[in-house]
Amino acid sequence: MNASMGGLTNQLNNMNLGGHSQTQLITVNLIGVPPNVGDLDAPPPLINLPPNSSVTQSDKANCEPSYKRCTFNSVPSTASLLSKSRLPFGLIITPYRSLKEGDDPVPVVTDTVIARCRRCRTYINPFVTFVEGGQKWRCNLCFLSNEVPSQFDWDLQTSQQANRWNRAELNHAVVEFVAPTEYMVRPPQPPVYLFVIDVSFPAVQSGAVATAAKTILESLDRIPNEENRTKVGFITVDTSLHFYSLNSNSSEPQMLVVSDLEDVFLPQPDDLLVNLTEARSVVESLLSHLGDMFKDTHTVGNALGSALLAGFKLISSIGGKIVVLQSSLPNIGPGQLKAREDSKALGTPKESALLQSAEPFYKKFAVDCSRSQVCVDMFLLGSQYSDVATLSCCPRYTGGQTYFYPAFNAGRSEDALKFAHEFAEFLASPIALEAVMRVRASKGLRMTSFYGNFFVRQTDLLALPNVSRDHSYAIEVSIEENITTPTVCFQTALLHTTCFGERRIRVLTLSLPVTNSISELYSSADQIAISTLLANKAVERSLSSKLEDARDALTNKLIDILGVYKSAITGSQGASPQLQSCDNLKLLPLLALGLLKHVGLRASSQIPTDLRSYAMCLLTTMPSQLLIPYIHPRFYSLHNMPVDAGTYGPDGIIMPPPLNLSSEKLERHGAYLLEDGQNIFIWLGRQVVPQLCMDLLNVRSYEEVHSGKVTLLQLDNPFSQQVNAIIGKTRESRRGVYYPHLYIVKEDGGDPSLRLWFLSHIIEDRTDTVMSYQQWLGHLKDKVK
Amino acid sequence: MNFEEIEEQDGTRFSWNVFPASRLDATRIVVPISCLYTPLKEREDLPPIYYEPVTCRQPCRAILNPYCQIDVRGKLWICPFCLQRNAFPPHYKDISNTNLPAELLPKYTTIEYTLNRAAQVPPIFLYVVDTCLEDDDLKALKDSLVVSLSLLPPHALVGLITFGTMAQVHELGYNECPKSYVFRGTKEYTSKQIQEMLGLSAQNVRPQMQRPNQPGAPQNLSASRFLLPVQQCEFTLTSILEQLQRDPWPVANDKRPQRCTGVAMSVAIGLMETTFQAAGARIMLFCGGPATEGPGMVVGNELKEPIRSHHDIEKDNVKYYKKSTKFYDALAKRSSANGHIVDIFAGCLDQVGLLEMKSMVNSTGGYMILSDSFTTSIFKQSFQRVFNKDAQGNLQMGFNATLDVQTTREMRVCGLIGHAISANKKSASVAETEIGIANTSAWKMCGITPKSTVAVYFEVVSQHGQPIQHNNRGLIQFVTHYQHSSGQFRLRVTTVARNFADGSSPQIAQSFDQEAAAVLMARIAVFKAEIDDGPDVLRWLDRMLIRLCQKFADYRKEDSLSFRLAENFSIYPQFMFHLRRSQFLQVFNNSPDETAFYRHVLNREDVNNSLIMIQPTLMSYGFDSSPQPVLLDSVSIKPDVILLLDTFFHILIFHGETIAQWRKAGYQDQNGYENFKELLEAPKTDSEELLADRFPVPRYIVCDQHGSQARFLLSKLNPSTTHVSGGMYGTPQGQAIFTDDVSLQVFMEHLKKLAVSGSS
Ligand SMILES: [Zn+2]
Ligand SMILES: [Zn+2]
Repeated sequence: MNASMGGLTNQLNNMNLGGHSQTQLITVNLIGVPPNVGDLDAPPPLINLPPNSSVTQSDKANCEPSYKRCTFNSVPSTASLLSKSRLPFGLIITPYRSLKEGDDPVPVVTDTVIARCRRCRTYINPFVTFVEGGQKWRCNLCFLSNEVPSQFDWDLQTSQQANRWNRAELNHAVVEFVAPTEYMVRPPQPPVYLFVIDVSFPAVQSGAVATAAKTILESLDRIPNEENRTKVGFITVDTSLHFYSLNSNSSEPQMLVVSDLEDVFLPQPDDLLVNLTEARSVVESLLSHLGDMFKDTHTVGNALGSALLAGFKLISSIGGKIVVLQSSLPNIGPGQLKAREDSKALGTPKESALLQSAEPFYKKFAVDCSRSQVCVDMFLLGSQYSDVATLSCCPRYTGGQTYFYPAFNAGRSEDALKFAHEFAEFLASPIALEAVMRVRASKGLRMTSFYGNFFVRQTDLLALPNVSRDHSYAIEVSIEENITTPTVCFQTALLHTTCFGERRIRVLTLSLPVTNSISELYSSADQIAISTLLANKAVERSLSSKLEDARDALTNKLIDILGVYKSAITGSQGASPQLQSCDNLKLLPLLALGLLKHVGLRASSQIPTDLRSYAMCLLTTMPSQLLIPYIHPRFYSLHNMPVDAGTYGPDGIIMPPPLNLSSEKLERHGAYLLEDGQNIFIWLGRQVVPQLCMDLLNVRSYEEVHSGKVTLLQLDNPFSQQVNAIIGKTRESRRGVYYPHLYIVKEDGGDPSLRLWFLSHIIEDRTDTVMSYQQWLGHLKDKVK
Repeated sequence: MNFEEIEEQDGTRFSWNVFPASRLDATRIVVPISCLYTPLKEREDLPPIYYEPVTCRQPCRAILNPYCQIDVRGKLWICPFCLQRNAFPPHYKDISNTNLPAELLPKYTTIEYTLNRAAQVPPIFLYVVDTCLEDDDLKALKDSLVVSLSLLPPHALVGLITFGTMAQVHELGYNECPKSYVFRGTKEYTSKQIQEMLGLSAQNVRPQMQRPNQPGAPQNLSASRFLLPVQQCEFTLTSILEQLQRDPWPVANDKRPQRCTGVAMSVAIGLMETTFQAAGARIMLFCGGPATEGPGMVVGNELKEPIRSHHDIEKDNVKYYKKSTKFYDALAKRSSANGHIVDIFAGCLDQVGLLEMKSMVNSTGGYMILSDSFTTSIFKQSFQRVFNKDAQGNLQMGFNATLDVQTTREMRVCGLIGHAISANKKSASVAETEIGIANTSAWKMCGITPKSTVAVYFEVVSQHGQPIQHNNRGLIQFVTHYQHSSGQFRLRVTTVARNFADGSSPQIAQSFDQEAAAVLMARIAVFKAEIDDGPDVLRWLDRMLIRLCQKFADYRKEDSLSFRLAENFSIYPQFMFHLRRSQFLQVFNNSPDETAFYRHVLNREDVNNSLIMIQPTLMSYGFDSSPQPVLLDSVSIKPDVILLLDTFFHILIFHGETIAQWRKAGYQDQNGYENFKELLEAPKTDSEELLADRFPVPRYIVCDQHGSQARFLLSKLNPSTTHVSGGMYGTPQGQAIFTDDVSLQVFMEHLKKLAVSGSS
C-alpha cells in the first residue's frame, strides 16, 4: 500500500511540476466530524514550482517526501511571515531509507566528475541554470557562476561526447556520486561488527545469549560483505570481559578473559577482530558453541562499560559498529548503573530525571566513538529495569539504534522469533559508514536545531559513524534574511562509505517555492512533517524539562496554529461554535492528540520508565512512514471486513479500510486488529461467534481463547488466511526491521492489563486523564482566540 | 672415626665430633660446632614404620630414640633432653631388652615414621611459561613440558600460566574451547584482585548458588578450573602446549620483548595462595629472558640499556635492582608461607634476573637451573631429573617440610643455612648467637629432596666447670615432618650424640672433619657475602683460617718453617684458598645471575659435592700410568695427557697439545693406535659416570690446549706458573696462566707467617 502510495505521490508531484495550478485552501470544520483516518496516507500538498524550474523535465527532479520533506511546501519569504503563521519550519530527512520492492534505486554518478559551487559548495542539481552557452552553471543557492567541469559532457565508458541532459545529477533530486580520493582521509573502511554480548546469569537464563549467537551464525551470509572485507569480533561480558582469538588457522576459538575492569586492555594484538571470510570457520565454531559456553554460569553482574571501552580499543583505529546485546543492568566497572526506577516518581515532575541519563559515561563514550567512526547499537533484552534512558545515549550520539525487548524470554517462541527476526534484519541491513551529513540551503535560511541520532560536530555538520537504514533526522530552519527569490533549495549531502567499500556522496535536493501569502503557506503545510517535527521537539522538551512542559508546548502549538488560522485566514473573531482548519492540516489535532496519549508522552503514573525511554528513542528516529502509525495506530475490523480484504489485489494484499480509534467501533461480537508498527493486537468482543474463534484460533468458543502473546495459526479457512495475510502485509510494509508481537486481547476474562494496554491506543476515547478527541477539539476551540 | 659412615647412617657431617664442654672452650675452636644434615638422605635399610612416634610430654615433645634410658619393668623411659620420665604407651607393654621397637635400636638413630595421615591434595605442579622465545627455543620447551606430563603421577594436579607482554592463566577445566585469564603485564595486582579476577571469590555469584563447603569436597571447587589431575587434563594441556605461540605483541629491532615475569609469578603465587594454601606444590617458572616491564622488571626494554652487572650493583648504578628484589622477596615470603615451592628454569644466553628472583627459590627449597637455551641438554635433562622417581615409583621430592632441632641443655642452636625459612619456634634450644637463619629452632622447607642438605650451627652454653649431664654427651635431635610425594605424611627422626671433652683435650682436634668444616665455613662465607662486601668476607675467612691454625697447628712462635698441621687439618687451608678464589666469593668474572645460581647450588649440596665446587677435581690420563688425580694446578697441564676437570657445574675434557694434534690427524682410527683410541675414550667414559646423577646436569666441554674453551680449565687452576712467575730457572713445567692471583704456595707461606706471628 505504502509503496504504491509513494509512487502515486510522485505522479502527483510530477503533474504539478509541469503544471501551474495553485493548491486551493480548503477550510474544513473539525468539531463534530470524525477525523478521516484514511487521509493519513494522503500525500503532502503539492510543490508548486514555477515552470521550468529544473533544467530537465525529469519527473524525479524534486525530492520525494520519503527522503526529505518540509513542514510546508511553500516557504515564507520573511521571518515575520513565518512567525506570524506560528507554523514550525523544519525538514524531515531520511537520507538512507530502505528500498522496498518497486522503489527506484538511487542513481549513481560513477565518473567522479563532481560539479560543486566554488562558493557555497552546493552540488550541481536539477535546479541550477546553465549560462554562457552551457559553459557555466549558476548555483541555485548562491547564484555564483561556476565552470562546467571539462569531463562533464564526456562518457568515460565509450570515450565519446555524451549528452549532458542525461546526467543523473541533472535529472534526479536523489543521486549518489562516487567520491574521488579528495573526499577520503583514508581508504574506505570495511564494515566492522563487534558484538558485545552480556553472558551474565540473567542473559544466559533468558536464552538471549543462545538466540543471539544462533541468529548471528545464521546471518553470516547476510551481513554486508560484498568485498570480503568485513571484519567481526566478539566480546562477551559478565563480571569479566571475554575476548575471542579467532585465528583463521585455528579450528576453534580461544577465549581470553580479562577481569581488570578499571583498566581495560586488549589481551593480544591480533586475531580479536578478524576478516569474516577468512576466519569464517572459526567464527562459526565460536557461534555454534557460544550458546553453551556459559550454560553453567552463576555469575551475576555485568561490566558493560569496560566492555565498551575494550571494544573501542579494538575497533577505533578502523571504525565500525559495536553491537551490544545486553540482558542485565551494567552494575560494575565504569558506567555502572543502579536500578533507579522509582514507581512513586512516575507521573510526577520527578519522572523526567528518570528519563535522563543517570551516568555521563555513556554520552562521553559515544562522543569518543563518534570521533573514531564507531557506532553503537543497543539490543536491550532485560528481564528487569534496563535503564534504557542511560544506555540509549550510546546509539543516540553515534547514529545507532536502541532496540528493547522487555521481559525477554527465549523460552517463549514469540519472543525468540521477534528478536531473532529483528536482529537478523538489522545484521542484513546495508549501512553507510564513516559518514557526515550537512544541509545547505538558499541564502537567508539557516539550520538551527537538529533532532535524531548523531553528534553535531561543527555547527551544522552531523557526524554519523554509521547511517542506520531508515533513520530519520529532523532539522529546524530559521529565516535569517528576507527571501527575494521565487524558490529556495535545501540540499542534503551525505558523505559516506558504502559497505562495499566505495566512498560516496548521497545528495538530496529539495526545491520549494517561496510565498508571501499566509494562506498559501497554510495550504502547503504538511501535517505529517509537522507532526514528525513536533514529536521530536516534544521528546527533546521532555528530557530537557518536564513531560508536562512538553505536552503543554504541544497543546499551545496547536492552539497557536488553529488560532492563526482562525484570525488570519478565516478572519473570524470572538467565540465561535466551530473549530476550523485547512483540509491539509485537518489531521494535525488528531496526531497531536495521539502524541499526547502516546506511551512516550502520556500523563500517567503507570508507565515504566524503560518503556517511555524506548518510545522516545523511536519517536526521534522513525521516519514519518513508521512514526505516523506509531502515534496513530491502524485499526481494522476483521469480522465484517470486505470480502477481498486480505486477498491479493493489483497492488498486493488488499487491506481493510482503517477505522477511527474509537471504542464506538468495538462491537461485542466483533474481532479487530490494531497495530502501531511495534505491536499488533487482535481484540475479540465477548460475544464473538464461536465459528470465528474456530476459524481464527482453532478453539471452540470465546471462553477457550487464551489472551496474550501468540503466534497466529495458519488454518485452512479463508478467514484465517485473510487475517494472516493482513498481518503479513502489516509486518512487511513498514520500513525498518521491526517484527511486531501479536497479542490476543479479550474484551473480558483475559489479562486485564493487556486489555488496558490495547485500549490506551484508542485515542479518540476519553481515558482517565486525557480527554476524548471531541473534548480535545472543544478544548482547543476554547483556547483559540 | 669414619665421617662418611656416620653420614651414611644419619645424614650428618659435623665440623667437630667431640665438643668442648664449655662455652669459652667452644669459642676457641674457631670453626663453630655445626653440621651438614641431609634430612631425607636415602637409606635402603630403614625399616618401614607405620605407627606414630612416642613423644615426650609437652613442651619437650622429643621423640623416643636409642639414647633414651628405658625401664623395661616400669614401662618407663627417660627423655634425655628434659630428663622427664614418660610412661610407654599401652601397646608397648610387651617391650623387653630383647624385644625393642626399632626406634630404640642403636642402628636406628635415624628412623622414619610413616604417619597415619595423608595430604588432602595430591602434589601440584603449576607451570609458568615464558613465550617471549625464539621459535626453536619455544618448541624445545613445549616438547619438554609435554614430556613432563607423562612423568607426573597421574593424580597430580597441573596448571599452566603463560606469559609474555601479558600473563595468561589457562583454565584447563573448561571444555568448550581453550580459555585463559589475561593479566596486564605492567600492573601490580594484589592477591585479592587476582582471586577476584580469576573468579575464585564468590562475591558475584548468585546467592542461592553458594553452597556451604561440603565435607569431602575439594578444598576449593573453583580451583579445579585451573588445576586438574594430569590424567584428566593431559589431552587439553598437551594441545594447549602444542599450540602455544610466541608472544604475539610486536618487538622492535632495538627492543627486548616485553616480558612480565613479575606479574606472571605474582599471579601464580596468588592463584596457589587462594586455592591450595599449605598443599604441596611446585610453581615452576621457565623464563627465556629478563623481566622488562611491570613489577619485578630487571631491565628496561631498550636493548641499548645493558642488564646490571656486579660492577653496576657495587657502584649502586642500578635502576631496578632494589625495587625488583623487594618485589620478588615479598613474593618469596608469601610463597614460602603458603608452603609452595618455586623453581626457576632459565634458558637464556643472557641473564634473566635470577639475582632478583633468587629468594623465591632459596626460601622455598626450589630448583634453579641455568642454561643457555631450552634446546640444551642441560635444561632438558635437568628438568627431567626433577621428576626422578624412587624404587616405589614415587617422585623424589617431599613437600611442606619442617625441621625441628632439639638439643640437650648444654647446647643451643644458632641457626641454619640452606633453602629454608624460619618457622619462628622460640624453644629453649634457641641460641643467642646468630648464624644464618637464626632465632628459631625450627625451619620450614616447602620443598625437600633426598639430597637437600642444610647446615646447622650450634653453640655450647655450659659454663666452665658445670657438670655435664647424660653420660657426658651432648644430644641433638633432628625431626623432619614432611609430605611424601606418595601423599603420606612422614616423620624422619635423627638423634645424634657427641661426647663433651675438656677444652684442652686432644680428642677435640682429632675429631675435626676438615671437609665438613670447609663446607660449613663456605656456607657462612656465602651467607655473609650476600649481605656484606666481598673484601670483608675474604678478610673474615682469612682471619678464621689464621686463628684455626694458631690454635691447632704445631709451630714455634715466629718460626714459619716449624709450622705443621695434623693430617685432619692439612688440606683445610687449601680448601680455603680455593674457596677464596671460587665463583662463590669472587663474583666479578660472573654475572650476578650466575653468582646467584652458584650460591644457590652450594647451599643445597652435601659435603662431597660442595667440595667439588670449592676445589674442583682434576684427573689426568696419560700413556704411562692409569688415570690419577692430579693437583689442581697449572703444572698438571702437559702436552701428552688428557685432563678431566669436574667443577660440579662443568665437566671438561682437556686434550694436551700433542694429544690434540694426534686426534686431529685421526690416529685413533688407525690400526696400531688402539691404545691412543682407548686413551681418548677413558675420560669420556668416566665423565659419563659423573654426568649420570649430577643435578643440575653440568655443562660438558671438550677442548684442546690453547683452544678458547680451555679458559674454563685455566681459571680453576692454581696459578703456580703465572706469566709473572717464570723466574730465572727457565721455562717452568706446565702452562703459564695469565693471572694476578697469588698461587697456593704463596698463600701458604703467608698463612704460616701470620699464624706463627700470633697476629690475626
Ligand atoms: Zn553556490
Ligand atoms: Zn623430654
